[in-house]
Amino acid sequence: MNIQTEQFVEVARREMADLTSRAFLQLLPPVIAAMRKAGMATFPDPDAANEYSRAIRAEVVARLPELLEEFEANATARGATVIWARDAKEANDFILNLALERGIKYVTKGKSMVSEELGTNDVLIRNGIEAFETDLGEFIAQQLHRPPFHIVGPAVNVSVQEVCDLFMEKAGMEEPTTDPVELGYAARLYLRDKFHHLEMGITGVNMAVAETGSIINVENEGNIRLTKSSPRIQVSVMSIEKVVPNMEDAMHVLRLLCRNCTGQSISSYVSIDTGPKKDDEIDGPEELYIVIVDNGRSDLYGDVKAREALRCIRCGACLNHCPVYATIGGYPYGWAYSGPMGQVLNPLLLGLERTQDLYRACTLCGACKEVCPSGIDHPSMFLYYRSKDVKGDGELKGKKRDWKEVSIFKLFTLASTLPWFWNMGIRLLRPLYNRNAENGVVTHMSGPFEGWFRTRNLPAIPSKTFHERWKNIREKRSS
Amino acid sequence: MKKVSMFIPCTVDIMLPEIGEQTFCLLERVGVSPIYHEEQTCCGQPALNAGYVDEARKSAKHFIEVFGDDDAVVSPSGSCLHTAKYRYPELLSDEPVWLRRAEELSSRLFELSQYIVDVLGVEDVGASFEGTITYHESCHILRGLGISEQPKKLINAVNGAEFIPLNNADKCCGFGGEFAKDYPDISEAMVNDKVQNFIASGADLLVLCEPGCLLNINGYLSRNHPGKRALHIATLLADTGREVRS
Repeated sequence: MNIQTEQFVEVARREMADLTSRAFLQLLPPVIAAMRKAGMATFPDPDAANEYSRAIRAEVVARLPELLEEFEANATARGATVIWARDAKEANDFILNLALERGIKYVTKGKSMVSEELGTNDVLIRNGIEAFETDLGEFIAQQLHRPPFHIVGPAVNVSVQEVCDLFMEKAGMEEPTTDPVELGYAARLYLRDKFHHLEMGITGVNMAVAETGSIINVENEGNIRLTKSSPRIQVSVMSIEKVVPNMEDAMHVLRLLCRNCTGQSISSYVSIDTGPKKDDEIDGPEELYIVIVDNGRSDLYGDVKAREALRCIRCGACLNHCPVYATIGGYPYGWAYSGPMGQVLNPLLLGLERTQDLYRACTLCGACKEVCPSGIDHPSMFLYYRSKDVKGDGELKGKKRDWKEVSIFKLFTLASTLPWFWNMGIRLLRPLYNRNAENGVVTHMSGPFEGWFRTRNLPAIPSKTFHERWKNIREKRSS
Repeated sequence: MKKVSMFIPCTVDIMLPEIGEQTFCLLERVGVSPIYHEEQTCCGQPALNAGYVDEARKSAKHFIEVFGDDDAVVSPSGSCLHTAKYRYPELLSDEPVWLRRAEELSSRLFELSQYIVDVLGVEDVGASFEGTITYHESCHILRGLGISEQPKKLINAVNGAEFIPLNNADKCCGFGGEFAKDYPDISEAMVNDKVQNFIASGADLLVLCEPGCLLNINGYLSRNHPGKRALHIATLLADTGREVRS
């Protein structure tokens, strides 16, 4: 998929002008947030449950190298083949060559954000192998050629009428309908057929259990289970941070993942698979490949602050609580990952220079941090990225800011350490700022604050600061 | 009489000095003696939020020098207080002596409503207002400092006032300092949501504890809904016995 993180402002403006999208965004986040809240309330102690999963995710990141090796050893011992992919090309090359070698005509896919990150579909399709997304939302997004709108609900913004038209055109639906059950049935008829003759399936991974070598997938549609169990060849693609130490930890993270995703105590399907089909088993793939994707993550592992991003379990709770996401939707973020988790992850994977808006378009309100079951402090990550960007940090590919901004902050800071200079600065600034003031209100201004004044006023700066008024207060008090 | 040091953030000092005076009056009324260090300037939050950590560190040290010896520091702003309380220790983590001073000071920093309710144990400050009031939960007040009940207790104790809940009260108003300047379209959509919820609440006043949100919400109201106004809690509580400007 095309990376369009640089077009954030442009796409955001377009999305805000889309009234259907705006109306939908007013509706969805509060509904999902309420479902999450109800789900969390089923814990005897929701805060403790949260802290426990945060601790697990912190441990995962701290022990990542050894956990991955442990996972590889145990998965291999159970008959899986583990492939380490340094970047998108290595991962895609492996999947493509495997498919070509085995004469595969098409694959089915379970929803996998890492495959969006890698652009796996594009590579397969370019080489003559069809890739059918089998998650309903992902299927719709794929057919409409749109990026995922939400990491959990990729096409959650698409209207039911649009889905009807699409299914009439591309999924062989014969009678138009806007009934969700009938639409679901039409997609099922179309996609189920693909599973009957399936030779190779590709899915993502929600958790990889180091102690047992098992792979866990969480879903509500059953398509991932079909993709994992019908074909002869199964490829599971995971980014390095998906590993967890053991099954107990996995089960606890699962409780948080489901509640944060959809408010469910548990999703409709949870598949735990350990190795390929054994001789005495009736189903499952004969060959299981687990592609472990780095794609730039281990480069930043030495940066203890930055690697906090790897705690994420992709539950989407931060998106549903972000007031900026609720205003602009998922498209402006320009890549597979959107909302606060994308704002944390994309800059690390793509570099700070081309993701400027992702870590700056945030009011630091902290709603994401408050709900995060992985213990990510998003606002503090954004401050960190901004600081690295200002310094033009090489590791994180920062850009440095223009000299005017740098000078302003240097001067401002100097003033903040010298009270006489600070107060003189205010006296000099006042007439300049007030030159457009009328009746104590400033209604327009050119320059960097122009955007603010398009729809908002500010008070004029009064003739005396509090600092200057204090002298009167002090004198009155002593007399 | 108990002495308490006032930290008047630059937004208040420069743009909204009356909130500083009201903070002073209110503190006097609840029986403490406010002092004001004239050497105080900016806490460094704008530089910190823009990524200028080396600069913010200098402002932080100045702040610690100015307020370091006070038993209690009270401020009519949450985000500036949050910066001093929680960001300074992060900023100064590599300088043990400064870090210790930052951490010691941190526990002595209070937001205005928090200080009155939690420390002084006062809820009724003798204010009166005939009408309905709703409350905006500013992000750094609510999630940054964990303050929500204190201002509501103060509002509920205002003679004649009726408290009305605000839909999505805890949702950001879209200010975010530089955010409002750099992303004015997104910020405008967010403040419009906030204002629509305020209007839908039917309340006469929207009260809040954060000067940044006040500039944003009032800036939008004064342009688009001139009859409506938000008030800082200090203004509501200090302007007792007479009509609050609205």
